[in-house]
Formats: sequence, C-alpha cells, structure tokens
Amino acid sequence: MSSLSDVFSAINRLRDSGIVADYAVGGATAVLFYAEPARTYDLDVFVIVRPEDERGLAPLAGIYGWARSQGYEAEAEHILIDGVPVQFLPAHNALVEESVREAREQIYGTVTVRVVGPEHLVALALQAGGAKRRERAYQLLEAGGVDRGRLRDILTRHALPRGILDADST
Amino acid sequence: MPTQPEQADRDAAIGRLFHAKAEWHRAQARLPLQEKVRILLELQRQDLPLIVRRRSLRPWERPWTITP
Repeated sequence: MSSLSDVFSAINRLRDSGIVADYAVGGATAVLFYAEPARTYDLDVFVIVRPEDERGLAPLAGIYGWARSQGYEAEAEHILIDGVPVQFLPAHNALVEESVREAREQIYGTVTVRVVGPEHLVALALQAGGAKRRERAYQLLEAGGVDRGRLRDILTRHALPRGILDADST
Repeated sequence: MPTQPEQADRDAAIGRLFHAKAEWHRAQARLPLQEKVRILLELQRQDLPLIVRRRSLRPWERPWTITP
C-alpha cells in the first residue's frame, strides 16, 4: 500500500516535469503540519501554471494530461493519486499566488513537500469565508504557530478583516 | 444561590477545565506528523457513516487507501 509520502513524491514529479511552475499543499492537509488533525477527504494543491496555460481556457489541461500519462484517474475535479483524491487549484488571485510563492518546505518521512505557511492558511480561510474555514483559522491561531505580526501584514495587504487578531490566543 | 466562596471555587474549576481542554488541543497539534495522518485516516473511517446519515456522499468522499 502507498503512503502519503508517495503522493507528495508524485506532486513533486509534476513540478519537476515543468507542467506547473510551483505548487503548495493547502487546505486541511496543510493545517496538519501546524495544528491538530481535522477530517478531510481530499488534498488541495495550489499551483502556479505555466504562462501559456494560464492564458488558455483550460489552465489545468497540462495537469490532467500528465495524470493520464502516469496512470492516475481523474474523478470530476479530483485526480486520484495512490488512493488520495487530489484537487489541483490554479492560483486565482494575489493572495493564493503569494501563498504558493512563500510556501514552506516541510519534510514528510523522507520527502520534501511545499506547504502553505500558517499565516497564509489563516488569510486564505478568512478570504474563502464560511463557518468551517473560520474555525480552521482559529484552530491555527490556537495551536500557537502563527506569527501574528506577519499575519497582520498579510491581512492588511490583501484587504482582509483583522478582527481575528483580537481573539484570545490561550 | 451559591455563596461568594462557592462561586469562586466553581469559576476556578471551570477555568481549569477550559485550560486543560486548550492544552489537550495544543498537545494534539504537537504530535509527530505521521501520527496526525494516522489520526486523520481514523477520522475519515469514523465520520463516513455519520455523513452518510445526513446527506449523499460526493464521489471522492471515502477513506484514503494509504498508510501514514
């Protein structure tokens, strides 16, 4: 049976093939790296696609072509990599793009994986909105790994509400 | 009505409970990554029947067939 590190290795191979310029794991799987586990059934990966793909009507076409060539099945908006549904999401705004470019390199087992940093995860959760994501933002803050000064800077630059910074961190 | 000392004792006990709960969450956050993934896989298995009772599953909503 494959392990999560095999999934991360496959995503690294995608990046190394040049089909995407860069990537970073986001969503609940990224939260695992900084806070307590929360249930999710898919793995979100933000990607910066090549400029020629970005201009086209199907920016993820290259990724789907790569998946086929690797024998990974596509299931609607997910690609099944070693038993894990992976959703590739193009960096569709400035905050997501910055989150990918400034992602942290984490080690999982023996594999290096790019993961959105905790401050950007909070900002992305607030930007996306909804109760579940707001809870995720508080969970990250309470875990204690968020640099509040850096978070304030990100929220200010991307015109996001800063009320969460007033929350009790104990 | 509780007396003032009783109320103070009760408030202190509730404070300790919340403190312990927050500390438990922080301890979960500090677990080794692979242990957190093991917990995630367990949560996926446990939650699935509960989700099925509330709504129909999306095609990709199923426990991952991987090891941590």
